[in-house]
Formats: sequence, C-alpha cells, structure tokens
Amino acid sequence: MRIVIAEDAALFRAGLTRLLEDEGHQVCAAVADGGAMLAAVAQHEPDVVVADIRMPPTHTDEGLRAALELRRTHPATAILMLSQYIETRYAAELLQGSPAGVGYLLKDRVADVTEFTDAVARVAAGGTALDREVVSQLLNASRQAGGLDPLTARERDVLGLMAEGRSNAGIAAALVLSRGTVEKHVASIFDKLGLPASGGDNRRVLAVLRYLGS
Amino acid sequence: MPERHNGDVSTALAAVRAVARAPFTGRARRELLYCLLGLPFIVFLPFVGFFAVIALAQLAAGPWVTHGNPSVLAVLAAVAAAGLLILLLVTTGVTRALGGVCRDLARWLLGEHVTAPPARRPGLDARLRDGAGWRALAYLLLKVPVAALGAWAVIIYWGAGLVNLTYPFWWASFRNHPAGVRLSPVPVITPFGWLHGSFQIATFPGTFAAFAAGVIMLLAAPWVTRAVVSADRWLIRGLLGPGSLTQRLRDLEQTRALAVDDAAAQLRSLERNLHDGAQIRLATLAMNLGMAKKKLGTAGEVPDLEAVRDLVGAAHQGAKDALAELRELARGIHPAVLDNGLADALASLAAGNAIPAELAVSIPVRPTPAIESIAYFCAAELLANATKHSEARKIRIAVAGQDRVLVLRVTDDGQGGADPDRGTGLAGLAQRVAVVDGRLDIDSPPGGPTRVTVELPLRA
Repeated sequence: MRIVIAEDAALFRAGLTRLLEDEGHQVCAAVADGGAMLAAVAQHEPDVVVADIRMPPTHTDEGLRAALELRRTHPATAILMLSQYIETRYAAELLQGSPAGVGYLLKDRVADVTEFTDAVARVAAGGTALDREVVSQLLNASRQAGGLDPLTARERDVLGLMAEGRSNAGIAAALVLSRGTVEKHVASIFDKLGLPASGGDNRRVLAVLRYLGS
Repeated sequence: MPERHNGDVSTALAAVRAVARAPFTGRARRELLYCLLGLPFIVFLPFVGFFAVIALAQLAAGPWVTHGNPSVLAVLAAVAAAGLLILLLVTTGVTRALGGVCRDLARWLLGEHVTAPPARRPGLDARLRDGAGWRALAYLLLKVPVAALGAWAVIIYWGAGLVNLTYPFWWASFRNHPAGVRLSPVPVITPFGWLHGSFQIATFPGTFAAFAAGVIMLLAAPWVTRAVVSADRWLIRGLLGPGSLTQRLRDLEQTRALAVDDAAAQLRSLERNLHDGAQIRLATLAMNLGMAKKKLGTAGEVPDLEAVRDLVGAAHQGAKDALAELRELARGIHPAVLDNGLADALASLAAGNAIPAELAVSIPVRPTPAIESIAYFCAAELLANATKHSEARKIRIAVAGQDRVLVLRVTDDGQGGADPDRGTGLAGLAQRVAVVDGRLDIDSPPGGPTRVTVELPLRA
C-alpha cells in the first residue's frame, strides 16, 4: 500500500514510518502539518493517509480539518486518524456521511503492531476502524439510555466489535469464537435492536453507529 | 528642683539648636530639591494639556474663533476634547506611568514608600475602569496647585531669604554715591510682601533689618517646604497607592482573575508539555517494543535479530528519555528541594546555570511556601531570561528578607533592554507577583546592566 503520514512529533513519525515499511508498505511522504499533508496527498495520490489530529500551527484539530477537506477532494483516499486522546465529537465529524475508509484510533494502539496494521488494511479496503475507547463511550451512552437492555453480555461484546469496524472473522478471532457463532450473535443483535439486515460490513457499521448515536 | 530646671533649659537649648540647624539638614535639602523638581508640573502639564485640548478641539470643530469669540460648538468640542484626552491618558496607562514616576521620586527623596497599585488587567473594559489610572490622574491634577505652593516656598523663603542675607555685604560697594544724590530705596521681599517688597531700605543700617528678615525666613523655610511636602505625601499615599477599601476590593478581584487565568494557563501548558513530551515518547517506546515483540515471534528462531536489538535499544533509550522528561516536568511543577527552603533551591538553580551565577541569601524569617514558590519561579525565569537574552558574563541573585518583605534581585552585566511589553515572560511574572500584592521592578537600559527586583510579602 502507498501511505502518507502526517504527524508533528518527529520521533513518533520516524517510528511510524519504520513500522509501516517493515510491514511492506510504501511510505510516500511523512510530513508534519495539515497543509503539507494535503499537498503530499495531491502529489502522491496514496491509498491511505495516517494523520495526527493535533498538529501545528494551532495545535487543536487541524489534522481533522485537513482530513475532512481530504474526504471532500479525494473521497477514494482512506484516512486513519491517530490521537493521544479520544473525543466522540471528532469521531462523529469524521464518520459524518459514510464510515467507509475512515479510522480513528488512539496512538497507543500502534504498540500492537498486528492490530494496527490490520486497522490500516481495513481502512484502505474501504472499511472502518474505530477505537474501542470511542465505541465504549458510545456503548455507555446507549446503555444508560436503556438501548442495550435486550442484549446479552456476549452480544454486547459483539456489538462493540462491530462498531469498531471488524468483520465477522475479526470478531471471531478477537472473542475466540467460531464464525458461525458470531454470525448467530450478529443476526440476533440485528433482530433485537430492530436494525435492517444488511450485507456489507460498511452498512453494518453505519447501522450500528446510527443506533448507538441516536 | 534644680535638675528639673536644668532639664527644661537643656530641652529648650536642644529645640533652639534643632531650629537653627533645620535649614542645613539633609532632609531640608531633599525636600527643597523635591519642591524644585515639582516645577515641571506647573510649567509643563497645564500648558501641554491646554494646547492639546485646543488642538483636538480645532480638529473636531474647525475654526476655533467665530466673530472674535469661541462659538458654542467650539466650547463643546473643547470640553469633549479634554474628556477624550483624559480618557486617552488613562486608558493608555500614561497617568499610571507618570504616577509611578512621582511615587519613585517620593521614595527616592522623601523616603515615602508607597506600594504600587497592582498591574492592570488586559482588555479595554479593564483599562477604562482602571481605578489606579484614574486616581493617578487626580493626583496629577492636584499636584499642580501643590507644586505651585512648593515653588512659592522655594522662591520666597529660600530664594528671597538668601538674597536678604546678602544686603549688608554689597551695600557699601554699590551705594557709595556722592553726597546729595538721592537713590531710590531697595525693596525687601518677605512672605508678607512678595511682589513689591514689604518694606524698603535706603541706608546701610537698614540692611541689617533685611538681614534679620532673611535669617528668619531661612529658619522658617525648611518648615514651609516640609508643610508643602507633607501635603504632597498625603496625596501620594491616598492616590498613588493601592487605594481605598473599595478600590482594594476591585484590585483583589483583578488579581484573583489574574490568578485564575494564570492557573488555567499553567494547566494548559502542563497538558501541552505532557502531550508533546513524555506521552509521545512513551507511545513511541510502546511502538518500538511492539515491533520488537512481533519480530521475536512466539517461539523458535528469530530471523532478524539485528533489527530486534536495534528496536529494543531504541525503546530503552526512549524509556530513559521519557523518565528525564517527566523528571523535568515534575521539577517544573514543584522542585522537591524547595521543601528545604529557598536558599537550597536557589543554590541548586544557580549551580545548574550555564552562565556563572553568584548567590547571596539572607532570610531570617522563612516565608510561606506559596511565597517561596513564587520567588523560586521568578528567580528561575529571570535567570533563564538573563542566560538566553542578555549575553551576560556574570549574573547575581540576591535574596534578602526584610521585616515583612522578601526582596529578590537578579542582576546581570549583559546588554540590557529587557522589556515586559515584548514577550510574555516578564509580564507573566509581574502578574504572578501582583497576585500576592508583590511588585516587580525592571531596570534595564539599552546597553545594560539589567536589574530586576521582585518584592513579595513574607506571607500570602
């Protein structure tokens, strides 16, 4: 995969570059702010952009602004946002419209190389990668509102992993279940929550997130 | 009771001696000089103010004179211009600055220590409602008649008094006219007739009357200047200090707001330091370990041992860097050595400085922890400033506890030109110091040397 990295901390940027190159990806450019990121994307047309949310000059959310701009100008380019903290508002902005090819992870997740590269691959393939912190915040809100009452504990786990953007295979691996069991759980969740059954992972994520967000 | 009698006599003698000596004391000299330095107030301020008002009014109302007299419009414009001028002087801080000059002058010559009002808060509203600025304006306006009185005291009592003393000495040489010629008599100026003289002398014996008048005037002179100066002191204490209870309350509100802002800014900078420093180092460290772990696999041979060594080495270094970073950060929040007292903390600060810093500490009574902390961070900031910007070869830190005040002075032999309006460091310090009713004084002429004095109460 061809990747552009935007991250202002030089140390982390270098580590990220090394990690992705070790995994056999090509890092076309590694830049330090939102403007340079847009320029690099225009120049290299990468498959995925891995970007920090908080970057110079204002050190607030210019990474996110640049990413939203990118969603408009290069809808085919997948974007994985990294941050040191999780803001549900940022996630909502990022997922607005469609969760296809979008990810939002804590920087800490980079420590689990396989999990991180899976997330990059998933986003690049048009999927979603939502940090479990975001998902647990969403789940919490829903649980307090009583929206998750019909579900069993296991079904809630499956729902969370679905919201993170994982496929049935991914969910099965994470929970050490067979694919068939996962499929049964998924069907039961959709039935209990009254969600429209849908084929693709993307529409599934969208449905789940809509449910959790409402 | 002969002793009692002796006592009375000696007291009376002492009083006479004191009266006779009064004109020659340093205090009389300093008060005389103070009155002399008041002259610019009666010459400069009213004229500048008058012409500024006329100029502004002409700008506003066109021709100043219509049919020989100012039109109603012109008068209104002049009033508006005067108001505008006053508003400008207060909001730009000119009155505060002039008040500061007067306060410094009074401290220097009269030993009148009046605490400066707390620093002004930023923002137009705070500038308009700047009580200290308005009180300084009132002082400057009242200073004009007081300074006029002072000038009168200097010219009549000291000046004319001295002149009167001289009459017997020059009379013989200048009035030795031939017999029959009649010269007009010479007027003698006294406080009771200071325009045309209260009496006139025409003969040599008469000059002794003038001499006697001069002696009496000079003996009275120091008391007259002292009376004028006392009035001025009273005005300074009332108008150039921190102010009345209401004013004090407003000042406290201001400094509380400053303290809250300062605390918020410190938290923000702390978050920023953590985010950009230790946190990112630890994230990178975890990433390096993650990569190494993946390369090591779960069992068996490791294909790329060299890369693993490299990654573990980087992680190890990262852990040490993160520790150092956290240690620095913790020290920036509260240096542990400060618990042993300011002297120890400043010694370790001075020892770690790039430019040699000489330290002199004399603190008989230990200040409260909050004051120690403020003093420490002031010293650290000033030391860092001097090291970074002044190109000094030597820095001197002096801390002295006087009765209820802690005085911290950082001096360097560098190029000077430190300005609190440029950069946030010095202004931030002034704010932090103002929160506990302290004051920050910067003396840094271009070319140096720089001397910054921080005065803090011992307890806050």
